[in-house]
Amino acid sequence: MTRQGRLLEIGPTDNTSDQRTPRQLLRLIPEEARASFIPVVPARYASNPHEWDMTRVAPDRPRADGVPIEVTGSVKTQSGAPVRHALLEVWSANHYGRYRHVEDMSGLQLDKNHLGLGRVLTDEDGNYRFLAISPGAYLARPDIGRWRPKHIHISVSGGASRLITQMYFPDEPNNQSDPMAILMGDAFERNIGKPFEPANNDLDEAYRFDIVVGGRNATYFE
Amino acid sequence: MSPNRQNQLPATNEDTSGPYFPIAFGDPALEDLTRFEVGMVGQATGTPIILRGKILDRHGDLAHGAIMEFWQANAKGVYRTPATKDNPDVENWFHGYGRLRSHTGYYEFRTILPGAVAERAPNITITLFSDGISRVVTQMFFEGNDANADDPILQTVGEDAPKLIARHDGRTAKGEEVYLFNIVMAGDGETPFFDDLES
Ligand SMILES: [Fe+2]
Repeated sequence: MTRQGRLLEIGPTDNTSDQRTPRQLLRLIPEEARASFIPVVPARYASNPHEWDMTRVAPDRPRADGVPIEVTGSVKTQSGAPVRHALLEVWSANHYGRYRHVEDMSGLQLDKNHLGLGRVLTDEDGNYRFLAISPGAYLARPDIGRWRPKHIHISVSGGASRLITQMYFPDEPNNQSDPMAILMGDAFERNIGKPFEPANNDLDEAYRFDIVVGGRNATYFE
Repeated sequence: MSPNRQNQLPATNEDTSGPYFPIAFGDPALEDLTRFEVGMVGQATGTPIILRGKILDRHGDLAHGAIMEFWQANAKGVYRTPATKDNPDVENWFHGYGRLRSHTGYYEFRTILPGAVAERAPNITITLFSDGISRVVTQMFFEGNDANADDPILQTVGEDAPKLIARHDGRTAKGEEVYLFNIVMAGDGETPFFDDLES
């Protein structure tokens, strides 16, 4: 049997997924072209030292509405090597489910103390930590009453390791009906933050979210 | 699938970037690789090019809000990677990685015409992230390059090869060569995409 690339699946009830998901099988990369498909992101990003606290717009400003949480974890390749000095770009909705993005036309409530984005770097051991407001769920398909469950977007760039993912929250009723969660099937479990007791009583909740960057690119230069 | 997969940690699932990737994360220096940093002396050697085009969905509508990442060799045909650290042809002022978010579905990326790497025609790898998909990856080539005929990627896609070749559209007054390259994410005229995770 000839080896073939995957057929990407379309997210159920996701119009944009229907519009944008390739219908052809992905093509396998010939071995002699393999290396050219492995971008190495230069270590040139800036991260302001205060950005790890995404519960406020600046260190001297008040905390936004809602539940302040800590998110912490490690970033590793599939072979278990820590991804050091990787950039995590994080963005999430406010307590009311609204992004401070000019294209968010939902009309949900803005919060003047919520920025909803920030950048942090992993340390020598590949660990990261940030504070955020627990994001609100939002109605993605008003016509059929389908909600997007609470989630935090995380983009990881570290050398040849590249991943854009989302952290979800345990036991959320909207997890089951989310198109991307449906496509992940049992593996969806890996994208759920694991609650633990926050050490700091300034915080209401804490989640551990260990990230493993998959695929051959991540490990190519190990 | 690699044979030693059972020794590996299970990967975190890729997920859609959604529609709201922060514009604030944009970096002008990654949208124009012809100069290393705004207002600084230091630039890549080679022929400056402007690569522009549209990202289209399966209805032919512009796929707005997509994030594009570019990866290429420098004008001498050398990628800047851990493996080429000591290569004298690596350039200080060119790292070969670009990124932009296309607000409308039109994009424009300024860079240097990549040189040919051994056994390959000059090319740029393009990764797309957007709402509705996780990532898809393709590679584009340059019209009129003699090496296209023997390139393994263009050979592997067969009759779809023209979909991966950017059309040359003249030269600006400033001397930049202009190339046009549209990406069709799905449906009629779909761009060939590559399985960079599994292959
Ligand atoms: Fe979102």
